[in-house]
Amino acid sequence: MSLKKFSELFLDLDSSNSTNNKIEVLKNYFLSNNPIDNSWAIYLLTGKNNKRFISGRYLKNLFSQIYKYPQWLIDTCYLKVGDSAEVITLLLKNKANSRKKKLSNISLNELLSETIPSLSKLNEEEKNLEIKNLWETLPEDNHLIFNKILTGTFRVGVSIGLITKSISKLINIEEEIISHRLMGDFKPSIDSYEFLINKNINLQELNSKPFPFLLANTIEDKIFKNSINDFQFEWKYDGIRIQLIKRSGNVLLWTRGQELVNESFPELVEKMSHIKDDFVLDGELLVWNYKEQIAYDFSLLQRRINRKSPTRSIQLKYPIIFIAYDLLEINGRDIREVKLENRRIELEKYFSKWQNNIENNISDIFKICDLIFPKDWPDALTYKEKSRENNTEGLIIKKKSSIYSSGRKKGIWWKYKVDPMQLDAVLIYAKGGSGRRAGLYTDYSFALWKDQELIKFASAYSGLTNIEIKELDKWIRKNTIEKFGPVRSLKPEMVFEISFEKIQISKRHKSGIAVRFPRITKWRKDKKINDADSLENAFELMKKIS
Amino acid sequence: MTTKQEYLIRYKDGNLYCELADIWIDPSKPVKKALITHAHFDHFTFGCEEYISTKETAILLKERVGDNVKIKTFEYGEEFKINGINISFHPSGHILGSSQIRFIFAEEKWLISGDFKLQKDKTCKQYEIVKTDYLISECTFGLPIFKWDKSNKIANDISKWITNSPEKTSLLFCYSLGKAQRLLNEISQTNFKGNIYSHGSIHKMNNSYRELGIDIKDTIKIENKKKIDELKGSLILLPPSLSKGSYLKNFKNIQTAFASGWMSIRALRKRSGYDKGFAISDHADWDGILEVVKKSEAKNVFFHHGDSEALSKYLVEKESINVLLFGKQI
Repeated sequence: MSLKKFSELFLDLDSSNSTNNKIEVLKNYFLSNNPIDNSWAIYLLTGKNNKRFISGRYLKNLFSQIYKYPQWLIDTCYLKVGDSAEVITLLLKNKANSRKKKLSNISLNELLSETIPSLSKLNEEEKNLEIKNLWETLPEDNHLIFNKILTGTFRVGVSIGLITKSISKLINIEEEIISHRLMGDFKPSIDSYEFLINKNINLQELNSKPFPFLLANTIEDKIFKNSINDFQFEWKYDGIRIQLIKRSGNVLLWTRGQELVNESFPELVEKMSHIKDDFVLDGELLVWNYKEQIAYDFSLLQRRINRKSPTRSIQLKYPIIFIAYDLLEINGRDIREVKLENRRIELEKYFSKWQNNIENNISDIFKICDLIFPKDWPDALTYKEKSRENNTEGLIIKKKSSIYSSGRKKGIWWKYKVDPMQLDAVLIYAKGGSGRRAGLYTDYSFALWKDQELIKFASAYSGLTNIEIKELDKWIRKNTIEKFGPVRSLKPEMVFEISFEKIQISKRHKSGIAVRFPRITKWRKDKKINDADSLENAFELMKKIS
Repeated sequence: MTTKQEYLIRYKDGNLYCELADIWIDPSKPVKKALITHAHFDHFTFGCEEYISTKETAILLKERVGDNVKIKTFEYGEEFKINGINISFHPSGHILGSSQIRFIFAEEKWLISGDFKLQKDKTCKQYEIVKTDYLISECTFGLPIFKWDKSNKIANDISKWITNSPEKTSLLFCYSLGKAQRLLNEISQTNFKGNIYSHGSIHKMNNSYRELGIDIKDTIKIENKKKIDELKGSLILLPPSLSKGSYLKNFKNIQTAFASGWMSIRALRKRSGYDKGFAISDHADWDGILEVVKKSEAKNVFFHHGDSEALSKYLVEKESINVLLFGKQI
């Protein structure tokens, strides 16, 4: 099996926008290649360890030196291409005449397990010579992959989830099992691939499976007719929902998206593994301000989610907490059919037992959610309004007599979210939609005033009715100032009310602020662009909340 | 060194202009006399009193804009005189009828390359090397990252792209005039033997090409209400202007691609919104431009239509060729 096959896989994945298509392409690749190359492919695609062997700058200098190519010309090309590995690949095409050597048909395994690692054992001169030699003997369509692996920039639009799905389809086994097998270090080898595609599921794997999550519905007016005493009230945290499993000594952290995130939160796994009982907990993972006992913003949690094996200092800088709000299984006993109020009693009972174990102090990483006890519905409303003070999004209301069923079942759990924040903003860009919305301009960008200038502050897709979308589309086509590919800049004329959940400082945005879940809540035809809000208003809003 | 006022041809109001003959080359606004290098719309404007072009360009233009324009035609290589200046058209290899234009006045030769390519293209005359003193060349792809693959390789890639998804309808976007016919000609040599449809604007140009003696495979004009099943596994050529509108709603289960030289860059490919990009161009790549500069033996070179900074610096530093800049608009 040659590197060529993998290059083709890369191009196929790169030139597809459809998830199903990518899964199909991956499945076919795995079917037609040998286990060892497949294991390397998985290793590369999941980006488990994209080691940089040489830097992009080094690569460009080397090319310049070998082929007597002016550095400034390479730099100019780089501006157009934006990727060192690709620039050199394209420039090598132009040097094809100097390649007279016989082409090698190296395998992905050979390249990754021998050729490239051995580069680091060479001195600079030998290394340069070897890279030159590889450039001149590798077939042209392998250059991009080779250069990208060298510079540690191999990336393609494939997530672990997609790999999981395609292997799950390949061998007809549930995704959760494959997720579990892909967890942790993946060392490319025949064994590791064969373990991955093994059709026999062992007991430990069966034990790893999470229960389907029970999801909350948006509040409905009819709930207010019920007695307040029928319900349990909790704060609605803005973290990641986690099902925490401990069975036969193994701890697993599952997200709602069937992803295992053990590697991102090792300190939690460690602490929980010392608890004597086995259990399944449903709860929320947050970055926690232990001094004030409130959650930090979601953006801090994001620094943890995508970081595998965080260092000790990262763990201290972004301290996490797991807040359990439900107990689903205890020492092998599935209690999902038990009423919520009784599950809560069990949860409190076990938590106090675990808490009292002095050998394993869990209080710095794990607690159970506090309950709120509003007197009546207006009182509940008051609690909800106060939720921003403790950095929560509102309330979760659960029926005390309910069992833990799956999905978004009506009449069991509700979310009662705090009213969104709003600003009036001017429409300045529009982009064509995709899928069902293809052919219409449905992706919009909005701006706020800063002195005499309109500064983009948010993009939104949802909130307009189909009739409004069509009307706006017509207007957009008539009022385009400039086109940049699929994007049109527009005459500033239309004002919209934009609602969002959160507002915070952001250095990444020109406006200096970032908002969460922005959406259009009203087309303010009654307003002129001078009536739109300014960035100053946005900053005031931010101050008011914090 | 001569000053820019003395150049036979200069830039005026964003267009190439020869004052001595009072004639414009591919002007973007109405003038008295216009030389037209080829029939693409960005080289043509309505309202000129008189147009001069090759015979093929005139036929293609009239097919596109109607018979109401007055076009005087000349054969390739045939010299004609305006105000004592000898002018002639020479094949530029860009599309059918496309030409370079040579001016000779008082022993001084000027050559305007027009849009050109050196690559083989069976749907038009091969680029002719013309010697000159002054060369005005386009440089759309004037960076060494642009190196075209052979067009039969691209055609095979396209053929594979279609046949690998037999359940899909493959929409290939390309310019209606030139690129479409070149692709049709190349694709007919590949293993792809399914149906090929083309949009009305392309269909019209195919017919014109055939009437001018070019071998273009038969295509079916695409009707708006074609049965979806019929289109499965077939290829449809469409102009890029239709890629963003509601037109695509006429089809189900499609894959899209764009045929353009820009598609050789991954970031542009990704940003383009098409599923796939095929890097095939009717313009010269970096090597092509360098070859023309050298073989023309021009001592002085001007560039337009593109980013010429790197190319100019390279020619000055590496090839010791005198690259001149047109003054700002006079």
